[in-house]
Amino acid sequence: MDRAIIVDHLVKNFEVVERKEGLLGAISSVISPKKKIVHALQDLSFSIQPGELVGFIGPNGAGKTTTLKILSGLLYPTSGFTQVLEFDPWERRNEFLKQISLVMGQKNQLWWDLPAIETFELNRAIYEIPKREYNESLKELVGLLDVEKFLHIQVRRLSLGQRMRLELIAALLHKPKILFLDEPTIGLDLIAQKTLREFIYDYNKKYQATILLTSHNMDDVVDLARRVIVIDEGRILFDGVLEELVSRYAKEKIIKVYLSKEDDIKRIETIGKVKRLAFPQVILSVPRSTVAIAAAELLQNFPIEDLTIEEPPIEEIIRKVFKGETRPKNVSK
Amino acid sequence: MKKYLSVFKISFQQEFVYRLNFIMWRVRNVLQIFLIFFLWDTIFSDPGRVVFGYDRAKILTYIFGLAIMKAIVTSSRTIDVAGEISDGKLSNYLLKPVNYFKYWFTRDVASKSLNLIFAVFEVTILYFILKPPFFFQPNPLLLVLFLTSLLSGVLLYFFLLFIFDMFAMWYPEQGWGPIFFLFIFVEFLGGGLFPLDILPAAIQKGLYLTPFPYLYFIPLQIYLGKLGIIESLWATLVAGVWILVLGFTLKKLWQAGLAVYKSEGR
Repeated sequence: MDRAIIVDHLVKNFEVVERKEGLLGAISSVISPKKKIVHALQDLSFSIQPGELVGFIGPNGAGKTTTLKILSGLLYPTSGFTQVLEFDPWERRNEFLKQISLVMGQKNQLWWDLPAIETFELNRAIYEIPKREYNESLKELVGLLDVEKFLHIQVRRLSLGQRMRLELIAALLHKPKILFLDEPTIGLDLIAQKTLREFIYDYNKKYQATILLTSHNMDDVVDLARRVIVIDEGRILFDGVLEELVSRYAKEKIIKVYLSKEDDIKRIETIGKVKRLAFPQVILSVPRSTVAIAAAELLQNFPIEDLTIEEPPIEEIIRKVFKGETRPKNVSK
Repeated sequence: MKKYLSVFKISFQQEFVYRLNFIMWRVRNVLQIFLIFFLWDTIFSDPGRVVFGYDRAKILTYIFGLAIMKAIVTSSRTIDVAGEISDGKLSNYLLKPVNYFKYWFTRDVASKSLNLIFAVFEVTILYFILKPPFFFQPNPLLLVLFLTSLLSGVLLYFFLLFIFDMFAMWYPEQGWGPIFFLFIFVEFLGGGLFPLDILPAAIQKGLYLTPFPYLYFIPLQIYLGKLGIIESLWATLVAGVWILVLGFTLKKLWQAGLAVYKSEGR
């Protein structure tokens, strides 16, 4: 098996009934419902190697979650071909389901009224995990995510961060080879986000698991994924390594300088676009091709204490991609 | 099989979390028995009176039998399926190597066991308070047929409820409506309010072709010895055919439903 996931010309349409606002609107949509076809995915194609960790980026409603749901067998594709671990996800064969997991940051599988350990026990039975293997994985996961003290507390009484970590354990007890993570860090504080990210990174390395991750949190993507797939309106805008995305879409670089004494700001404006000015720091944006010259000029002509050249923030680049400021000429595969 | 044993255990625990709900549900059942008991007791206050072929002893046995039958046949968690479909919780199970029907049937069995334990306990107490005349069926063959028809009733109810739950696949917001509709049919046509043989013969004949009388009424009739061996066997056969028809319908609806399932909210 050279490819863990294959998606070829995948299309998914939903039929939705539009509801008008207000009481009269509600009545009229009962009498004459106005149906509309939503094209959630339009001709999506990509493939993922075993052990790869891929970030899936796109604005709300771009089709990320729909793709994950199709790949895990929840939704029936309108047309196109999908294959995960050489299975057709839609058939939902037990051998397939035993090797995958889908974690959604928004919702839970843990039994709300019972302590998490009860759900774990249930999953042990459902996935037919041998007792010894189960005990080992549980001990390891509980240690890594530091949740020992929450195991025997009713899930409803836990905080979101505590619950999310337990959710992850429930999803990983059977050691899935393929992991679909949908917004795993949503609503978590910075420390919890970091713990979760480190854990996902280690899991990928240790078990050679294939991971497809969606997130609006760019830190998740930058820290974890080397390859990113950017999608919008059900189409792929970019598929490749993160650095390539940056060099292709970021036409400018950022120069940060610290001045040792106040100087004529007007003069600096001739070198590049001043994005921020708060003495002693000045942030400039300059074209990629002339960044070296600009830096040299700055060092020569201004009282500079420190100077750094950086890539623009990834959020900004992504925003540009979505705004269509720099539509791709060719989509790399 | 071990999977479903675990499902059974966790369902039992879940039922205990909502202890108060459960107890109030049982209290409601006891009050219902009281109500119906006194209603019929008043009608039959003259000891020699026979109405619709029922005397005091038989009608009271019917009512007590009904309490147990309801605990076994209609105590069910499967009503929650429509909700799980409409809020997308179904996705959790579709992702796992578990059979959704077996899963819910197991949860039903857990619920039925718990309800049965309470029902037996309550009926015993009520028996001593109300001192109704009670009829014990001595014929072992009829008892076997009764148990068979009881099991058929359980399966029929499970399939019926599940079929009505499937509505939520197409209309997630309207999931509950059809189920209320089903409840009315089950209660009236299943013999939950009055024994069906007080109805005109023509109506009865038509009714026996539907699956509803096989939920409570027919099993109780077999127990009470009101149906002969041949008639009981025939009734068991009709129930069996309905089980096959409903099972097949459910399978088809499930497959079609999954194709349109939107996995909303998750």
